[in-house]
Order: sequence, then C-alpha cells, then structure tokens
Amino acid sequence: MGDPKNGAWRQLWATFFGKTWPVWAGGIILAFLNVCLFLAKSPWGGTGTYISWGENIYQAIGLFGIEHVKPVLAHSYGLLGLMTLLGAFAGALFGREFAIRIPPMGEMFKGLIGGVLMALGATLGIGCTIGGFLSGWAALSGGGIILAVGFMIGTYFALKYLIWEMEALPKMSMGKTYTFLAAKGAGGVWQPILGTILTIVLLVAFSMRFRTDNGMAMFAILGLVIGIVLQRSRFCLVRAFREPFMTGESEAPVGVMAALIVGIIGFTVIKYMGVGTSTPGAARALAMTWVYPHFWLRAIIGGVVFGLGMTVAGGCAVGTLWRAGEGHVKLWFAAIGFMLFAPISKKFIVPGFANMLPEWAKQKMFLPDRFGYGGAVLIFFVIIVLWYGFVKWNERTGKFTAI
Amino acid sequence: MDVNVDRNLDCKGLSCPMPMLKLAKEMKGMDGGQVLEMVGTDPGSKGDVPGWCEKTGNELLGVEEDAGIFKFYIRKG
Repeated sequence: MGDPKNGAWRQLWATFFGKTWPVWAGGIILAFLNVCLFLAKSPWGGTGTYISWGENIYQAIGLFGIEHVKPVLAHSYGLLGLMTLLGAFAGALFGREFAIRIPPMGEMFKGLIGGVLMALGATLGIGCTIGGFLSGWAALSGGGIILAVGFMIGTYFALKYLIWEMEALPKMSMGKTYTFLAAKGAGGVWQPILGTILTIVLLVAFSMRFRTDNGMAMFAILGLVIGIVLQRSRFCLVRAFREPFMTGESEAPVGVMAALIVGIIGFTVIKYMGVGTSTPGAARALAMTWVYPHFWLRAIIGGVVFGLGMTVAGGCAVGTLWRAGEGHVKLWFAAIGFMLFAPISKKFIVPGFANMLPEWAKQKMFLPDRFGYGGAVLIFFVIIVLWYGFVKWNERTGKFTAI
Repeated sequence: MDVNVDRNLDCKGLSCPMPMLKLAKEMKGMDGGQVLEMVGTDPGSKGDVPGWCEKTGNELLGVEEDAGIFKFYIRKG
C-alpha cells in the first residue's frame, strides 16, 4: 500500500485493484501467461490439478489402491492449481472482495454434483475448458473444436435445467446463508495488507523451495499470477458458453476470443519453430503437445458432460479454483466433488469407456498435418470471427437469450 | 436508499448465475414502475446487474455496499 498519504501509490493501487479489469484484458494476459507456461514446461490445464489433489487424498487414506502418487508440490499441475487458488485468494484480498459466502444447502449440493460431472466429463473427453479448449485451440488441435461443441450443448441443457429448477424446486437456492470476514466499509485495509503479505511470503517460499528446479519455480510463480488475473478480470469459461443463451451479453465470449487469438499466435510460433528442440523427433513431440486422442466422438461425449457440470456448479475447472479462492463455499464443494471423483473415473471408468470406442472416435487430429500451419491458423481465426458475429448479432437481437 | 420498495429479493450466498436468473424471474412478475430491492453477496453482481438493467430497459436507481453485502434498487421499465 505504501504510505497512505502518498497519493501516487494509492492511485497505482486503485488502478489495478480498485475495480474489476475488463474481461478481454484478462484474456490477453492469461493467454500470454499460458504461452509462458508452454515455454517453461507445458501448457495450461485445469483437470490435472484435481487428479493430483484427489490421488494424494486417496493415497493418504489408502483407498482404491491408488499408490505411487507424486506429492501435490512435486506435480506440475497439482502445484499450478494450488497457486492459482492462492493467487485468486490474494486477488480478492487486494480488491477487498474476499468473504466466506455460505450458500443454501441445495446450492452446496449442486456444487458437489457439478464437480463430479466435471470430473467425469474431463476424464472421458480428455480435457476441460482450459486444457482441452483454451490450450487445445492454441495447440491447433481439431479435438478442441469438437470439445467446444460439446461444452455448448451441455451448457445449453444445464441452463434449461437451472431455469426449470427455479420454478419447480425453488428451495434448492433458498434458505439460511452466512457471510463471514467481508471487508467493512470504505476504510478497511486488512484485506489488501494480508493479500500483500501472502503474495510476498508465497513468492519467497516457493522460489526457495524450487531453487534447483526452474520449471517448477516458474509454474509456482505463473500459477500465482494466473490466479490474481483470473480473479481481477473474473475470466470465466462458463459465461463464455452460457451468456449467449442467458443474457446475451458478449463481454465474456469476446474475452475468451481474445485469449484464443493470442494463444494461437504464441503456441504456433513455438510449435512451428520447434523452440528448444534439436532433433526432428523432439520437434514433432513438441508440435503434438496438447493434441489429444479424442477426435471426435470421445471429445463430444466428454464435452457435453463437462458442460452440464460446469454450468450447474457455476465454474469450470479453473473458474472453480478462483471462485473458491474468493470465498464462495458452493465452489469449495465443486472442487471437492471434482477432486474426489476424477481419480475414480480415471481408474475405473475411463479405461473401459476408451476400449469400447472404435478407433475413428478417438483420433489425434493435429490440423497442420492436414492443412499446413497457415491453413490451420486460418481455420481457427475464421471460426472465431463467425463466433464473434453470432455473439454480437445475438446480443443485439436476443434471438437465443433466455432472460 | 430513499425510495419506496415494492418487492425484495434475497440472493445472499448465491454465486453466478443464480442471482441473475432469480433477478430476471422476479422482475418478470412485476408491473412497470415498481421498484425491487435485490440483496446479494457475489462481487460479480456489481457488473452483471447494471449491464442487465441497461440491456433490458430497466432502471438501476442505485447501488449500496456495506460489509460485503450489495443492495441494488431497480425500477421496472
């Protein structure tokens, strides 16, 4: 905060943390950070976090024979997600927006169910809205396009359910609620002070812990920054898919489009140039990064289930993390459902499901193999332009909006 | 806020999208000119409610914030 009498520092603080950032600004910064993650180690993803956390829990209590699990702090995505959660907590403190918000019982139940569905969808379809879609499009993966279609379908039907639920089961979202630890009035400063201390302590602690592991040090620091940016810009993939069917507002989808464009440019440069590789084999492996064998049926099945889950929970894998950090207890339950079910689905459901699918349903589809890098990038940009046109037209006409 | 309130809507504890869905449903059942007081705790509502009011032709009369609780006063258009 600096000296309270010092206007320049106050101004700087207010610029960054006084109000919410535009979603498109968040999208551009997050895509840049995603490119940094790719350069440091591997691209951004959300599901790996929950699998890591859940497997550690099951190993600790000795359930389902889950063993030889990397500790959370030794697992790239277990660590990244933990730092994202803490970063979002810090971001909420900076903006004096943190409070523990306990919703009605029914909402906590919906969070849990949404989390379980997300775990099922992400493991069946290989990928969530971040790893499969945001990073998947950047990776020029055809499966990412199919996944997005699945998310859209799932989101549409889950929104129909929520509207039906308000009429038929109004008790689900009614009842006793509590709010704790909210910032008082305009003068309260404990939240920004705590946020600043937390950020400094985390940066020092993780820089020390990973002083011999550059990749993990980068993941820790980038995860923290990602959490702060997510919370400050309220960047939300659920909104991006849902708003065209709900209010029609275009801010969230346009923010995601901005992230996609920056991500596609950054990832394409890395893949095309084979950055950091010295052999053709390594360059090929790099090019195939985040291109999953789920084109197309596998991706659409997983996408629909994930879309249902994220809309009922009110946050995707990563949206759940930052809202949990902001203090929404409903999303704590979503995170618990996700982390407890993901390892079970991965171990007991996915192998049988994957075996059952014919080969054509689970292909790796790297679009540059078919259309060249230029053609693949062009395909994604054309889709984004068409999506933008639809979203803006729908915002004006309200053709697909429910409220 | 110094205004006659016709209806109250409690969205405390709820997170996105429930406050907006409830707001839209409540407003549907009101007559033009009536005023709704909506109370909530989701920071997302600070941006969502004004945006929705503008888009749907309802008038946001004022917003109050204290100890993490937001109050929105909306006149149906």
